[in-house]
Amino acid sequence: MEKQDNLDNINQPEEVRVGVYVCHCGGNISDVVDTKAVVEAASKHPNVKIARDYVFMCSDPGQKLIIDDIRENNINRVVVSACSPTLHETTFRKALRRAELNPYLYEHINIREQDSWVHKGDHEGATAKAIRLTMAGVEKIARQDPLEPIVVNAEGHVVVIGAGVAGMRAALALSRRGLGVTLIEKSAQMGGRTRELDTVYPTEEKAADIIAQLEKAVRDAKVDVRLNSEVEAIEGFIGNFEILIKSADSKTAKARAGAIIMATGFNHYVPYEGEFGYRQSPEVLTLPEFNKLLTELPPSQKLTYKGREIRSIGFIHCVGSRQTEGIHQPQPDGKVNDYCSRVCCTSALHTIHRTLDRFPDLHIYDLYKDIRTYGRGHEDYYERASKRGVLFFRYTDDGLPVFTPPQKDKTATLTVKDVLTWNEEVTIPVDMVVLVTGMMPRNIANLITMLKLPIGADRFLQEVHPKLRPVELANNGILVAGTCQGPMDITECSSAAGAAAAKVSILLSKDTIEMDPFVARVDTARCDGCQLCLAECEYKGALTMAENRAKVNPALCAGCGSCVAVCPTRAINVAGWTLDQFDAMIDAIGAEETESELVPA
Amino acid sequence: MSGQNNNTKILLITTMISSYPGANTVGQARLQYSPGTYIIRVPDPVVFPESFYMRCFEKGIDGIIIMSSGSDCPYEGAYRRLSERVGRVYNRMKESGIDPSCLKLTTICTVCKAAFLKEINEMQANVIKARSTQKESAA
Ligand SMILES: Cc1cc2nc3c(=O)[nH]c(=O)nc-3n(C[C@H](O)[C@H](O)[C@H](O)COP(=O)(O)OP(=O)(O)OC[C@H]3O[C@@H](n4cnc5c(N)ncnc54)[C@H](O)[C@@H]3O)c2cc1C
Ligand code: SF4
Ligand code: SF4
Repeated sequence: MEKQDNLDNINQPEEVRVGVYVCHCGGNISDVVDTKAVVEAASKHPNVKIARDYVFMCSDPGQKLIIDDIRENNINRVVVSACSPTLHETTFRKALRRAELNPYLYEHINIREQDSWVHKGDHEGATAKAIRLTMAGVEKIARQDPLEPIVVNAEGHVVVIGAGVAGMRAALALSRRGLGVTLIEKSAQMGGRTRELDTVYPTEEKAADIIAQLEKAVRDAKVDVRLNSEVEAIEGFIGNFEILIKSADSKTAKARAGAIIMATGFNHYVPYEGEFGYRQSPEVLTLPEFNKLLTELPPSQKLTYKGREIRSIGFIHCVGSRQTEGIHQPQPDGKVNDYCSRVCCTSALHTIHRTLDRFPDLHIYDLYKDIRTYGRGHEDYYERASKRGVLFFRYTDDGLPVFTPPQKDKTATLTVKDVLTWNEEVTIPVDMVVLVTGMMPRNIANLITMLKLPIGADRFLQEVHPKLRPVELANNGILVAGTCQGPMDITECSSAAGAAAAKVSILLSKDTIEMDPFVARVDTARCDGCQLCLAECEYKGALTMAENRAKVNPALCAGCGSCVAVCPTRAINVAGWTLDQFDAMIDAIGAEETESELVPA
Repeated sequence: MSGQNNNTKILLITTMISSYPGANTVGQARLQYSPGTYIIRVPDPVVFPESFYMRCFEKGIDGIIIMSSGSDCPYEGAYRRLSERVGRVYNRMKESGIDPSCLKLTTICTVCKAAFLKEINEMQANVIKARSTQKESAA
């Protein structure tokens, strides 16, 4: 492993002195990987001044080894080969900080989840892999300069776009945490689509009461509510957004905000003409249309519609949701809605109960693919429906129900191949059909373009990660709450809004915001001003030209690296992840030694 | 599984947000695969120019799997750029006589355990096949 120090191409003001620390993780690593062999191989690298192995590097004594070496042996770069960086990268960065070394002069190599645990039967192979990966870490960190977190000023004010339940909840939570809030609502009133509902599952409260309470709280909290208003333009970046608001009467106003919460909600799926007879036969309605009919119906003994008495209704689930390519008609973008709209199963059953409460003699037929009454108390609606005589039929995409409109003296029918009775074809006479339509995102194309918001394959706004960062968008300082992110019910919208508000209030808790430094950086000495990188950047204002050199606005840069790949001189790189570092890692991984040459017998 | 693995070296380029945690999930489940696999993590593979891949092949990497986040990529336009670039890398591989099956762009999420293993096994087979074809044509 004899190697030359070939770091002359980077500007290192001091000698690079790497410390390598190989963890046994009890025996999790050392039972498979020969950690002594890794230490020995690492020691041969000209920049590695100290290499040690230890039983638990993350323990206090383990961290102390590193801290002491930094203080006493002038170690100025650290590599720890241990578990996954997702567990302990921050632990060790903090240890470096305690030793007064820049925390970004640290590289974490995973030799547990991605080595000892997955190559148990091959000690030599696993050890050779650990050596190569550790050497790659050494090469990378040897080329790392100290990095400083990006610090921007933070405006203690938030703009929330959309005043449905999610937006109202978020605004209220933010305001209660002492932040100023502007709530921008396109329509003339707050409440969003919850306003369309009568009672709501699972609490059976009146939707109007929920909205009235929320509206009062929002007003009492002195949230700056802008009804009949939309965002006309947005400039700036995390901590310092400038939003131009335009009202329906064309008046404009400006708001400054440290963060933005998107809460623009959902649209109902609208069936195409002829989908299960929709818009061709008057007896076919969507669930929201039927809900409205039921709510507006004057007290009466009979359910009548367009002058006719309704004695039987068939509900068809999953209309506009869980579609299959080749079977269902795609949306204008060529894609079908393959996702589950989640709330419609329970809301259909909830509506069925509301209907039966008023018209107990009605015959109700429920045609479903799956019943997904997933939330607390939701299954109860399903069980009670069976007990009340609702007849359930299960269909698949291979045998979608067929609607036949009424003929002279015959009522309309639904024909279904019922999976529950081994595909028996059943024809059900019905006076009315209710299509249980799903959710689609609202058309917010202008905001998506203006802010470069990420959308998923389902066209809803897409969080950074569904589990790790569920309410953040990749755009720094822009968060998401409620059904603009995907189908949710009111309870889930409220949780999401609370989470987004909590994230924002942590972000804006101080006058400044500190962010990871992993954004693009330009070496002005290498940049020749060709501007190729500018054309690659999707984030407005992140990359501009200044004095004929590319210039990054770190607060606007998402750190994706799109610009890096096209720079002919390698002048632009993502800090902490430069191409020179990757090349050096590849050299270490690709190095010619065989397993047996690397690992002593 | 032998440590030699026909000495193949497969580079797995993973994303910090999905396929890197995905590889951890495979480890947590103790599913076994060849140690001739080297995982590097990046914010997004779009960062790599065509020349990076070509250099990898020159420097001893036999096969590369780009495990992207696919259309779920949180960065605007990055996946489109990446797939276009990989298309150009294929052309350069063909020009240089490298079997195009030694590079694959795929999508792996945080829980794609089976897909992760399948990609590795397939790439290993591709690399071995490409080697033997190369030997045959050299002979
Ligand atoms: C048929 C049906 C029945 C349901 N029944 C229940 C139930 O019983 N119980 C339950 O918990 N949930 C139920 N739900 C779900 C519930 O309706 C939603 O969870 C809730 O309405 C979503 O709230 P939201 O704030 O995310 O979106 P929305 O209610 O859609 O509100 C979004 C708001 O943003 C505004 N907006 C949009 N774009 C802009 C813009 N560009 N600028 C400014 N403002 C904008 C809109 O005007 C709207 O006021 C049901 C849903 C359906 C479809
Ligand atoms: S909630 Fe039920 S009706 Fe709605 S899409 Fe999912 S399975 Fe279909
Ligand atoms: S592509 Fe490179 S050289 Fe050209 S302007 Fe951008 S940073 Fe400068």
